[in-house]
Amino acid sequence: MTTTDQQPSSAAKLTSKFGFAARPALLVPVLAVAFAALVGLALIAAIGVSVPNALAAFIDGTLGSPYAIAASINRSTVFALVGFGFVLANRANLTNVGGEGQIAVGGIAATAVALYGHVDGLPLGLAFILPMLAAIIAGALWGALAAVLKVKSGTNEVISTLLLSFIGVWLLYWCVQSPALLRKPMTSSATLPESLEIPDETKLPLLTGDYSFPLHIGLPLTIILAIVVAVLLSKTVLGLRLRAVGLNPVASNRAGISYTRTVIFALAMAGALGGLAGALMLQGEQYTLKDGFSSGYGFDGLVAGLLSRGSVTGVIAASLLFGFMRSGGINMEMVAAVPTALVVVIQGLIVITLAGATLFIERWERK
Amino acid sequence: MNMASAPAEIVAEPLLSLSAITKRFGNFTALSDVSLDIRPGEIHCILGENGAGKSTLCNLIFGVHRPDGGSMRYRGASFQPSGPADSLAQGIAMVHQHFSLVPDMSVVDNVLLGRQRGLLNRAECARQLEKLAVDYGLPLDPFAKIEDLSVGERQRVEIVKCLIRDPSLFVLDEPTAVLLPDEIAALLDVCHRVASSGRAVVLVTHKLAEIKKIADRVTVLRGGRVVATSDKPAAEIDALVRAMIQGNVDTLDQSAASILGLEPVKHIGHGTENDNTPKTKVEALQIDGLTVRDYQGVTRLDNFTLTVDRGEIVGVAGVEGNGQSELTAVLAGMMTPSEGKIYLGDINLTAKSPKEITAAGVGIVPEDRHAVGCVTGMSLAENIYLNRLDEFTRFGFLQRSALEREAAALMQRFDVRARGPGALFSSLSGGNQQKAVLAREITLPNLTCLVAAQPTRGLDVGAVAAVYSHIRAACERGVAILLVSSELDELLTVADRIVVLYRGRIMGSCVADPDRREAIGAMMAGQPQ
Repeated sequence: MTTTDQQPSSAAKLTSKFGFAARPALLVPVLAVAFAALVGLALIAAIGVSVPNALAAFIDGTLGSPYAIAASINRSTVFALVGFGFVLANRANLTNVGGEGQIAVGGIAATAVALYGHVDGLPLGLAFILPMLAAIIAGALWGALAAVLKVKSGTNEVISTLLLSFIGVWLLYWCVQSPALLRKPMTSSATLPESLEIPDETKLPLLTGDYSFPLHIGLPLTIILAIVVAVLLSKTVLGLRLRAVGLNPVASNRAGISYTRTVIFALAMAGALGGLAGALMLQGEQYTLKDGFSSGYGFDGLVAGLLSRGSVTGVIAASLLFGFMRSGGINMEMVAAVPTALVVVIQGLIVITLAGATLFIERWERK
Repeated sequence: MNMASAPAEIVAEPLLSLSAITKRFGNFTALSDVSLDIRPGEIHCILGENGAGKSTLCNLIFGVHRPDGGSMRYRGASFQPSGPADSLAQGIAMVHQHFSLVPDMSVVDNVLLGRQRGLLNRAECARQLEKLAVDYGLPLDPFAKIEDLSVGERQRVEIVKCLIRDPSLFVLDEPTAVLLPDEIAALLDVCHRVASSGRAVVLVTHKLAEIKKIADRVTVLRGGRVVATSDKPAAEIDALVRAMIQGNVDTLDQSAASILGLEPVKHIGHGTENDNTPKTKVEALQIDGLTVRDYQGVTRLDNFTLTVDRGEIVGVAGVEGNGQSELTAVLAGMMTPSEGKIYLGDINLTAKSPKEITAAGVGIVPEDRHAVGCVTGMSLAENIYLNRLDEFTRFGFLQRSALEREAAALMQRFDVRARGPGALFSSLSGGNQQKAVLAREITLPNLTCLVAAQPTRGLDVGAVAAVYSHIRAACERGVAILLVSSELDELLTVADRIVVLYRGRIMGSCVADPDRREAIGAMMAGQPQ
């Protein structure tokens, strides 16, 4: 009898609904992060860097100034958007690991429209909205491409989205290398392989208008999208259909839920969110497109999605953690000479301990 | 027979004894105060409807679950298995309801899985298999791949996997649900031989014919309690059934009774007035020259032509694997036919999508409930309306309360027992799952044709009766019914007319008359009559 051992306890119900909301589910991740941080500090001490100096640099880089806080949050929104996309596609049992490539094509599209789309004179904020829309469409097409490969020829989306990421990243490299594409006019042999800076009107408006606290409209946009994705997954028929296809594509097909359409929708939405993340990076932070534009943001977003256990609040929590970690890590490298590699190691430790903790919570709740 | 729990006369020191075992899952009590003895050399049948706690009992003995109360003794010592591996090591082997074989591997490799470390000694294992084949009548080619074996042969592999460990206690959880009549007879013979070598056999079943044939003793479970025990089950079968279903055998649906082996097969059809007052024929489903070739070019269904009228039940008989799966898959829109046409009245349904087929008014009860019929990870209500979710949508939002209200109404109408419409589908017993799938398909607003494949497989008495009463009621309303089943008795009882499939072709057809049983059997074996 398969029946009776599947009665989730009320605690398990809470977690599956709200991610980190239930009590043991909150405590254990905090302990996991603390444990990883302690190991990280031990490693810093082991390579001969002063722990207080490193800690000071880390705190300075994360919470030390309004600028640091805003930069960390802006970064977190990028991770969160990619994470939402991951969670959305994962509801249909699809694993989108293509955030990096989707960010890249989003960045390319946003740059192209911002620089050459004659949008800078447009009213009503269209100047910065149109490049974002272009990025969304580009990302959606990039995601849909993997979906079409999956439904037409059965290519596993893990493989196709990953390989499309490489293509996206190299496409970006090509765009900024070739003067015929997005590279800025070559005035001397020392001109860097990057695009021109996008016009001011196409940059994302700052919430405060104060450059020492550069929090941009990406934050409210991400919050709105968080609500949209959460509602879509839990309250709509579309969300139910994604889940049905994810759990049993054959039975769903028999019940008239199109597998093809569902898969294409899910991966296109994930790609759209990745593309938008690329637009936020370009129009809110970097302003020029250059080689190394994303530097692994797509993968951090993927990890945020993985750690969230399918909940939007989980994605937000993990994204904030990673956003601040990255900022702190950069500052630790610059100020306290802690190699970035070590920050990556600590981040990896957090992922492993969190994943282990998640497993622990699930076992504990099952008892 | 002792109603309730007065202990039976001690014949031998029990091999395994359970006293006052209780097992709860959350708020649900699966077993309550269950006491029972298994003696060496006996075949002890556990009888009960789905959800009565039979499988839970097996899982406790096999160490999958731990009891919440009570104690077990095995070979005179306290028995608290830490897991299946522990039970196996102590000489308890179990054949589960669902096979656990690796299809791509040979028989020998499947038998060796988990038993040997280091180098595999396939030759030695093959020799052991040959010995078992002689001792127990279990012939198997040790080097055949599982995927090339029939269902009956696969089960033989499962049994051999157990016997090769030389167990003292052999537990079989509903082993006959998927077998053909001869295979069932062979299996019961194996049980007999195992028991006569001094081991104990625990056979979980809800088929009374099997109990009549081989049970030494029977324990009847209902709602997680022991409600009856018997030392002479063959003589007390009626009382056992009454205890199992808590009702009177006389009121039992006749089709269900004959399928269970309680009564000789009698043709019932779907309504008395049909026998005297022939209705005007209205063709509903027309299948014309349907041919299916698989990707290797093998013809699976060959020029299948059949018409089903409204208000008629046509049975498709045949040994499984003779094209029935392809036929239902094509009718369900899950497979594209190589040739041929399907019409529902004037509507061409050839190679249409499942959605269009449903919209046209064709209900499908698929043979594989879990793979095709439902999404076990979703709720009962979601499953009941999986194909009509649009009716519960406002601005894209799911009207969950309306959905659950409607589902609750259907649950009541179709007697689907679950904790509520929000219960996880996988928490339902097989019979209730099937009733839910049937409820979904049979309540399609414009149902004109119902295709039901093996709709009673693995179901208990009550559920079988319920499924047929709903199918007959639909037929009375003028729905054309195509019933695909490998249980000939079932077809003879329920259908108006039977066509026999053999290697994808129609071998012949005749009215469903129990006197034609032998002729139909010969056609199933490939001999035209």
